[in-house]
Amino acid sequence: MLDFFTIFSKGGIVLWCFQGAGVTESFTGPVNALIRSVILQERSGNSSFSHGGLSLKYKLDNEFELIFVVGFQKILTLTYVDKFINDVQLRFRDRYKNELEQKGALKLLNNSFEFENDFKVLLSVAEESSKARGPAGMRTFEQSGKSQKTVKSMIETKGGDKGKEQGGKKNKNAKKEAPAAQPAKGDQDKASASGQKMVENGNQSLTAEEILQKNREEFFRKHRPGASEKPSKSPKPQKPKGKQNRVWNNGGSSTRDLDYSDKNGNGSPNGAEQNLEAQFDPEMQPASMKGDLLSVEYESSDEEEMEEEDEEVVIRETSKPSSKKGGGLFGMLKGLVGSKSLTREDMEPVLEKMKDHLIAKNVAADIASQLCDSVAKKLEGKVMGTFTTVASTVKQALQDSLVQILQPKRRVDILRDVMEAQSQRRPFVITFCGVNGVGKSTNLAKISFWLIENGFTVLIAACDTFRAGAVEQLRTHQRRLNSLHPPEKHGGRPVVQLYEKGYGKDAAGIAMEAIAYARNQAFDVVLVDTAGRMQDNAPLMTALAKLIAVNMPDLVLFVGEALVGNEAVDQLVKFNQALADHSMSDKPRLIDGIVLTKFDTIDDKVGAAISMTYITGQPIVFVGTGQTYNDLRSLNARAVVSALMKA
Amino acid sequence: MAGSPFEPYIESLRQQLEEQDPVFLIGVIVALAVVVITFFLKYFLTSKTVRTSVLLVGLCDSGKTLLFSRLLSGKFKRTQTSITDSSAPYKAKNDRGSTWTLIDLPGHDSLRPQYLEKFKSAARAIVFVVDSAIFQKEVRDVAEFLYVLLTDAVITRNAPALVVACNKQDITMAKSAKLIQQQLEKELNTLRVTRSAALSSQDGSVGGSMYLGKKGKDFEFSQLPMKVEFVECSARGSKGEDGGDADMELLEKALAKL
Repeated sequence: MLDFFTIFSKGGIVLWCFQGAGVTESFTGPVNALIRSVILQERSGNSSFSHGGLSLKYKLDNEFELIFVVGFQKILTLTYVDKFINDVQLRFRDRYKNELEQKGALKLLNNSFEFENDFKVLLSVAEESSKARGPAGMRTFEQSGKSQKTVKSMIETKGGDKGKEQGGKKNKNAKKEAPAAQPAKGDQDKASASGQKMVENGNQSLTAEEILQKNREEFFRKHRPGASEKPSKSPKPQKPKGKQNRVWNNGGSSTRDLDYSDKNGNGSPNGAEQNLEAQFDPEMQPASMKGDLLSVEYESSDEEEMEEEDEEVVIRETSKPSSKKGGGLFGMLKGLVGSKSLTREDMEPVLEKMKDHLIAKNVAADIASQLCDSVAKKLEGKVMGTFTTVASTVKQALQDSLVQILQPKRRVDILRDVMEAQSQRRPFVITFCGVNGVGKSTNLAKISFWLIENGFTVLIAACDTFRAGAVEQLRTHQRRLNSLHPPEKHGGRPVVQLYEKGYGKDAAGIAMEAIAYARNQAFDVVLVDTAGRMQDNAPLMTALAKLIAVNMPDLVLFVGEALVGNEAVDQLVKFNQALADHSMSDKPRLIDGIVLTKFDTIDDKVGAAISMTYITGQPIVFVGTGQTYNDLRSLNARAVVSALMKA
Repeated sequence: MAGSPFEPYIESLRQQLEEQDPVFLIGVIVALAVVVITFFLKYFLTSKTVRTSVLLVGLCDSGKTLLFSRLLSGKFKRTQTSITDSSAPYKAKNDRGSTWTLIDLPGHDSLRPQYLEKFKSAARAIVFVVDSAIFQKEVRDVAEFLYVLLTDAVITRNAPALVVACNKQDITMAKSAKLIQQQLEKELNTLRVTRSAALSSQDGSVGGSMYLGKKGKDFEFSQLPMKVEFVECSARGSKGEDGGDADMELLEKALAKL
């Protein structure tokens, strides 16, 4: 019933494969798609993937660097697949341990792994087990868990547990204060479990007097600090450890974090210098943006700091007050020397910390957790070298995966593509979309300045027919750009022109006319500015999708600000969804690239870059770092990741 | 007997040493040890044996892993997209029988930069694998990768030999090595104009700060400081089992390499 099963090394050599009976297509394509979209994009958290009609499940073996992939038809729901993969993995490892342990690839190449028989045995076992399980019979009442519980424990009062305690306490108090009312029930109170009568008591506790008593109790409870600490008191064994320091959520874990004098010394002089430089530019020197963009600048002198942080993490882990203090130290020492393979439990605390760290750096919450899951899957079972701690391994792996996410998955070279379009005698069309107020028009002006610097002619299409002043804004930009690059210097024709049709018209129509005009007048680039819209505004999203589907631009850029937090996920998902839903063709145009704006406003909380690239899988093409024409950069993945992992 | 003329000297030396302050003696010994250790480190770190790897690079799906397998074992193996590097010692088929390490790097765009970073300083030769069948569509990507390689500071400093292997010659539509060379030269010519315009007017540029070839003249591979060669090969061979073609040219190049 399986379509195929492959075992291959992470270096790409297929060690063994099995193709189901009657399956003629090669499985290389789907498996490559699996590798590219799941493993390389760090989505390893969910272990199944569907490609066409096939559903693929996989398992990573990090100790021997192998990948096990099984593929079957999506419509079949095979329940034994997960366990089956595990069994196959264990059997393969046991059988070929010697060959796999070799570090070089030679053994892999020279051996032929005859795994057929074992595989067939395991497969038949798995299929048998899935057939053998009939529908489970219903349990009798005695077998169920319900009969084991006492009725008292099932009484739910408003305060939950406290309520139950309270109920107990209150009943006792009620007994004391209103003995006359219920002498019989008070006696029964002493017995802890007495079935029905307790239920009655519980029910009757809601009479008026008891309600008064209960409220009085609560009032006293709240205003007596001693009593309120009782239920929330930490368990007794911790008392002899002495006073525990109060842990503030935002205060960091050591007083080092609260000392901002160093940070200010390093950070702001650079920032101040940059600002001064920008101000000293007299009217944006015309030749300053030629060629490729600078990358975002960051201090990259943080390697020493990172090592210190690693040591601190190690020390902090050993000094955490826990009952297994001695064991923890020995485990740490054992981990330092000799090879230890990583397990989930080892990585849990470090991963939790890293997740919180990422979230503090403005990465969206569920993306941070997906990333940490993926890193855990990548590292599970891996053998650490000597003198490496769990924390440093996990940190390194996380850093590598972050750099991998930020690296573009295709070539990003706008100038070259514009030249290509130029040679084909058609304009290169770029469309900007995004929510309100992220900086579409400003960054459009910056990008047109950059393109003009590199000798191209630009037509700006004002398809924002809704916002007051949008067309005038673009006209002002056009005038300024033309004054910076006067037509006399560029062959007598103005380098920037604005195509507008006023307000209230259909944006898609204006865009189509603008592109036709550009083709006639031989403009090199058309920049289409659209109105900002919220992602859950259905009619506007439909209008945007129509604009893109009808005009088929060469590049659809989503403009997002770096200040956005968890919203980025929602925005991008909904934008992509709208573009996919409302396009008529079966290959819809989705977002091709991201422009990250307002990068100068975030200090080192650069997490939005990660969220956006992770969700779409598309590269960040431009980074906007200010409001003048020169503030346009390209993304430097290493710098951003080092800022992200810093302290 | 030969010891006796030396003995008084040794005695006097010993007496002198004993007269000295022990702390001073320890200081002298430590300084000597440091000097010796530094000498050893320098010798070992800069020895020529560091650069003994031949890197197999190229775009995704160009056939690097299959070439790797053919060179090492001559067998045809099915391959998938690599996500890590593979390395193995390779015995060259030349008279001297020198062995180096053959390293197969992943070609996927998101993994390329970090693996290149890791291995570029150890490279003594680079084999750049090109898919000749779909070369026309991928020209710009190939050229961009080649540009990044050639303008990298470490690589221009070490100037490892570059062999461009035009793979997949068994497919009928495959372009010849000569055509590929011409196309790449044209493309690199354009690229260096767009990329280097930024370098002359701004300081502190990103990435490679090299101008390829000579200014004012069209780019040609002969203008580079390293030896560049274009060879044709087919890792798969005509039927999937033979791959005789794969080894011939490359092996001869391997012979010529030092």
